[in-house]
Amino acid sequence: MGRALLKVKGGKLVKVQLTRGKGEIQKIKITGDFFLHPEEAIDALEQALIGKPLKEEDMLQVIKNVIREKNVTLLGVSPEDFVKCILMACDRNG
Amino acid sequence: MVEEWRFLDTGLHNAFYNMALDEAIAIAKTKNLVPNTVRFYRWQPSAVSIGYFQSMEDEVDIAACNEWRVDYVRRVTGGGAVYHDKEGELTYSIIVAENHRLISKDFQETYQTLCSSLVQGLNLLGIPAKFKQINDIVVSEKKISGSAQTRKMGIVLQHGTILRRVNPTLMFTILKVPNEKIRDKLIKNVDERVTSVERYLGKEVSFEELKKALINGFEKAFQIKLIEGQLIDFEKNLTDKIIKKYSSDDWNFRK
Repeated sequence: MGRALLKVKGGKLVKVQLTRGKGEIQKIKITGDFFLHPEEAIDALEQALIGKPLKEEDMLQVIKNVIREKNVTLLGVSPEDFVKCILMACDRNG
Repeated sequence: MVEEWRFLDTGLHNAFYNMALDEAIAIAKTKNLVPNTVRFYRWQPSAVSIGYFQSMEDEVDIAACNEWRVDYVRRVTGGGAVYHDKEGELTYSIIVAENHRLISKDFQETYQTLCSSLVQGLNLLGIPAKFKQINDIVVSEKKISGSAQTRKMGIVLQHGTILRRVNPTLMFTILKVPNEKIRDKLIKNVDERVTSVERYLGKEVSFEELKKALINGFEKAFQIKLIEGQLIDFEKNLTDKIIKKYSSDDWNFRK
């Protein structure tokens, strides 16, 4: 399992806990002191990432899709920050 | 005619009641059973609340909470972990219809508008407080107040804290720190990052005095009149039900 922490410049803190399969996300938990509206959409975001390849462009697309579908507003964090933190956690995967 | 809002001062309650009541008022407001509302409250026992997206185990030392008899609860709003000291802090909530003139579609703008009431209240006490993005109020770059907002079914709920007195030792006993070596340093340096009403003014300020100034701030900033009101039965009964959620491990440890 890998863990990473990202302090967004001028923004909030994001933490990712991740288990990787063969190049894809098996389990993921995103926590932090950011704002995401509507709040329940975080579950959809995590669900959508499961089974997806750990590739920057793919993950960014998945996150942006959820944001569009659920009409999500982010404050203190961006989709790119989530992806960056996921990749950091992936690097630290033991 | 000046627009009238309901004002509630619900006094001292435990963390689960406090969070449940904010939610119950918000639900009553979605059903249009109550007016727009400003509420003051405090915490007994002292408590720590964490943001909706935070992990309780990551943020809070549960053993220390048990030892010091501090409650812990997950909020319905995002943002960070906050230690709510019984004597050190006043908490407010604003429950207002989303289509109200004060509310913008833009969350950042709405934070600034709603926080302007607290800024004005603090200014009236002689504290040159300013809003700081994203959701803080600072005095010469030191945090004195933090807020968090959510929107559901046509209403906005924003709640937050005003620091009256800082208790850094207990704060950093309850909140987890990255490593033990820096705990003492955090406690020692808290003065560089955080201030309070009493610390800034260099004198004792009673809760009554603080509330009076803040009420003035709300009325001036929002162009409203706060009318002291009561909870309705719907809110009381709903609070009793919602308390179970906020005191459950399912909710508090869900992340």
